[in-house]
Amino acid sequence: MSGAAAQSGSEKLVEARDVSRRFGEGEAAVDALADVTVAFPSGRFAAIMGPSGSGKSTLMHILAGLDRPTAGAVLVGGVEITALGDRELTQLRRDRIGFIFQTFNLLPVLNAQENILLPLSIAGRKPDREWFDRLIDTVGIRDRLTHRPAELSGGQQQRVAVARALISRPAVVFADEPSGNLDSKASNDVLELLRNAVDDFGQTVVMVTHDAHAASFADRLLVLADGRIVHDGDSVTSGEALDLMKSVG
Amino acid sequence: MLSLVIRGFMQRKLRVALTAIAIALGVALMAGTYILTDTINKSFAGIFSVANKGHDVVITPTEALGRNTRSQTSPITEQMLAQVRATPGVAEAAGSIFTPGTFLDVHGKRLTNGGAPAFIASETPKRFESFKPVQGRFPLTAAEVAIDEQTAKRHNLKLGQQMIVAGSAPAKSYTIVGITRFGGGESFGGAGAAILTPAEAQRVVGLPGHFDQIDVAATPGVTANDLRNRIRLILPATVEVRTGAQQAAKDTSDLEHNLGFLRTFLLVFAYVSLVVGAFIIFNTFSITVAQRTREFGLLRTLGGSRGQILQSVVYEGLMLGVAGAVLGLLGGLVLAPALNELFKAFGAELPHSGTVVESRTIIVSLAVGIVVTLFAGLPAALRATRVPPLAAMREGVEIPPAVRTRRAIVIRAAIGIAVLLVLRLALGGGVGLTALAIILAVRIVVVARRVRRGTRPRRYRVVPALARVLGLLVSWRGVTGQLARENSIRQPGRTMITAAALTVGIALVAFVAVLADGTKATIDRAVSRSFAGNLIVENSQSGNNEQGIPALVAPALRRVPGVKGVTPIAFTQGRVRGTSNNVTITAIDPRSFEQVYRVEWKKGSNATLLGLDSSGTVLTKAYAESKHLEVGRSISVLTPTDKHVSLTVLGIASDNARLLGDLTIGLPLAREAFGQRDDALAFVSYAPGASNAQVQPAVNRLLAANFPQTRSRTAAQFKQDQSNQINTLLALIYVLLALSVIVSLFGIVNTLILSIYERTRELGMLRAIGTSRRQIRQMIRYESLITALIGGVFGLVIGVVGALLVTSLALSESGFVQSIPVGTLVILLVVAAVAGLLAAQLPARRAARLDMLRALASE
Repeated sequence: MSGAAAQSGSEKLVEARDVSRRFGEGEAAVDALADVTVAFPSGRFAAIMGPSGSGKSTLMHILAGLDRPTAGAVLVGGVEITALGDRELTQLRRDRIGFIFQTFNLLPVLNAQENILLPLSIAGRKPDREWFDRLIDTVGIRDRLTHRPAELSGGQQQRVAVARALISRPAVVFADEPSGNLDSKASNDVLELLRNAVDDFGQTVVMVTHDAHAASFADRLLVLADGRIVHDGDSVTSGEALDLMKSVG
Repeated sequence: MLSLVIRGFMQRKLRVALTAIAIALGVALMAGTYILTDTINKSFAGIFSVANKGHDVVITPTEALGRNTRSQTSPITEQMLAQVRATPGVAEAAGSIFTPGTFLDVHGKRLTNGGAPAFIASETPKRFESFKPVQGRFPLTAAEVAIDEQTAKRHNLKLGQQMIVAGSAPAKSYTIVGITRFGGGESFGGAGAAILTPAEAQRVVGLPGHFDQIDVAATPGVTANDLRNRIRLILPATVEVRTGAQQAAKDTSDLEHNLGFLRTFLLVFAYVSLVVGAFIIFNTFSITVAQRTREFGLLRTLGGSRGQILQSVVYEGLMLGVAGAVLGLLGGLVLAPALNELFKAFGAELPHSGTVVESRTIIVSLAVGIVVTLFAGLPAALRATRVPPLAAMREGVEIPPAVRTRRAIVIRAAIGIAVLLVLRLALGGGVGLTALAIILAVRIVVVARRVRRGTRPRRYRVVPALARVLGLLVSWRGVTGQLARENSIRQPGRTMITAAALTVGIALVAFVAVLADGTKATIDRAVSRSFAGNLIVENSQSGNNEQGIPALVAPALRRVPGVKGVTPIAFTQGRVRGTSNNVTITAIDPRSFEQVYRVEWKKGSNATLLGLDSSGTVLTKAYAESKHLEVGRSISVLTPTDKHVSLTVLGIASDNARLLGDLTIGLPLAREAFGQRDDALAFVSYAPGASNAQVQPAVNRLLAANFPQTRSRTAAQFKQDQSNQINTLLALIYVLLALSVIVSLFGIVNTLILSIYERTRELGMLRAIGTSRRQIRQMIRYESLITALIGGVFGLVIGVVGALLVTSLALSESGFVQSIPVGTLVILLVVAAVAGLLAAQLPARRAARLDMLRALASE
């Protein structure tokens, strides 16, 4: 059931139109995405699930402007990013997009506070002190600010990464398996944080995961299989999500 | 961004230090060279200002042919001195002698001064004298001498003892009556000086009635300039008249000119080390950029622009460059005295008091160090900008290659051609440049074809193949050897660049070794072919053509029983009218030369030599061809004594022994028109039936008694001397090239440490499945050994082929004999292998120390 998952009433913040992505050439070519059309309204938390090789990561990379589709268009805030050059894409990542990675990706040479502020120092902006304070209290790492990543637990590192993603108040945060490297307690903490960011700050979050429990924190669940969207609906419990996955896997 | 770079720096101290040293060593040699030569310059400037103190006007021979071309016969006469004394405004004028000579103890042993020259000097009136006695007095009779303090100390000479002074006259023994000190400091630039009475000095150096110099003092109220102008008017153009200040400036400028050679010589080695350092920096940056792909990707996803990535890597290069350059500059301070010691060890002592660090030294060293580092790091920095943001998400994202558009190639080709043109203007052609142009042209064509077809280059076939072959050396050691071999092939580009750093040094050593071996073989053959006599008599300070042997030696030798013929040979120079460079001139005795020397005639015969008695000349083939001169042509030659002589070309000859200069003339003409008094060599032939066992000892007895500064050599001994001289120079060059080899060792250490860091997981796994620490160490050592041998083999091939190419292209005409010193080359390969094992010590220990669990957990 491909097609638009109409969320009437909200602006389409991120939108993919007939997006295809093919890797390789000739006989070895693989279609990672086939004519995917989907839109993400602002202020919502969407989870993208799918088995390995379903194209979920590719979709996220393309939505975030990290990869280019073979065909189709991607719009962020009404701007077609597939037509942008490197300079404009860099600007887009600076101003409008935040990232959370499975492996945290903190710079080992910087402490927690410096890691959080890194996007602002790259952009050459002054931090909003109030927002920073609120963020670190929200993620709960105030007492760890001067620690280096090596001195933090996995959960703490990922919470620093969440704060880093939110510090520049991006229009959308893309999270790539944010709980994939964490134990269940830390995992719940981080997912709770994302949930709160959507509820309290009106943050838009798009999360890729293969964990049904993680997906249950979202408002909306998309399931991909073989490069196509096979399910698009409201949030479900983790049990229902598991069943869905079994049906496509 | 800058703070991020600084943080990164602090985290990677070892790597930063190793990389900085790579550039610092080259800079150190450069700074050391400048410091040493500046120090020598300044020391001499001090000496010259003392030597010319109290001299209002100084009269010296004109150097008609340019710097350092004084004739052996000074045009300054007693009569000139009388004229000067008669000039109004002259308070005092005195002639003096200052000519190189030889000092010996009573047993005939040379009193050397560590390679510094020794001078025979005459006492001058007090106001002109730069030496003053610290013990005893100046000589009063022709049997007395005053010797300088340094020589006296070194050889423990005391007042009242005897010593021998040898010049152009037969040697004579003198009583030491004084020990003197140079006014400026403890030594006259390291040189020895034996002061005799003026008349005795003139006699000993063979210049009765002549002086090397006239010193003049003005009466009060007459300026030095006025007096100079007055004297200039009355003296001929064969002498220069300068004020004391002008003379000091001229002496200093002469010295600077002579030191220029030393400076250039040393700087060449500094540049070699810098090139090797650049390789290492290039490699280190390439590896670290590859290792930090994920970090760059992250910065890009967080909104970092390409410019910012470029900046961060360039900043890193800048900081590294500054660190390396500063370190190098400090190293230069240490190296300058060490270089001086090195030259001392090779028999060339130069005065150096204090340490002179000119601002030029600081500026040039820092600039060169920083610029080289920046440029070497630039390719990696540009590569870093191409890291896609996606690299933050995934492992193993490849950095896309630079886009090779038609425009990019045209730009590159244009830059290459421009560089060639600049080199061509700067160096003026040459074989190397032609080769470079051909390589460039081929490269352009290959790349252009590749772009048209849209294919990527296939790279690195030689390195893996070579590594596999060399790997056989270690693969018998079992799995560690095999793994080492495979590891060295894994990243052929990296292995190649690491090896290339070593290749540069090894190639240069091999090149020089082949050239030197060929030179020895060439001399050997030339002496065997051309020399038909039995003995060669020369100055016993071998290679000292400047002092040569007294002209009295040849006639004296003729009286030794068993000697049939003696032919003296002298060297001088001149300038052919219509040309701008000086020519080398060999003067021979036209009647006896053919008895001891086989001339390879192109035009003419031995009978032609008789024509040299008057105004005939024989040209070498090379010179005749370069100036399009034929037999029968007449040329006008300017001599060192500022005369013009007209010579007729009588014959053209080849001479692989290089005894014959561009021009060969008769000795009588050389004595009369060129002022050449001493000979350089004398060739002796024995009478039929006379044996060397009888004649050479007799010759030696005569020489020891009358001319102790000379010695006789058989052809075999002569060849051995020549070969020893070449070996000495070779050893000096090896020492200096060793620096670049040391630099390349740091490169191997660096690459190994970085590779080990990369393979942390793999090493952990190897340990986990039972590899011992010892085996890990062995594996790393073997990998280093293979890399070093690849560098060594490439170096040998490039060096040997290069030397053979150069000698067959440029020197084949001159009969150069190519010879390959197999022993030296084998040793060189062993040195490379040992160097590789040495470089692996630290990395191997680090790899073996890795904590297994942490290594496995690391990402």
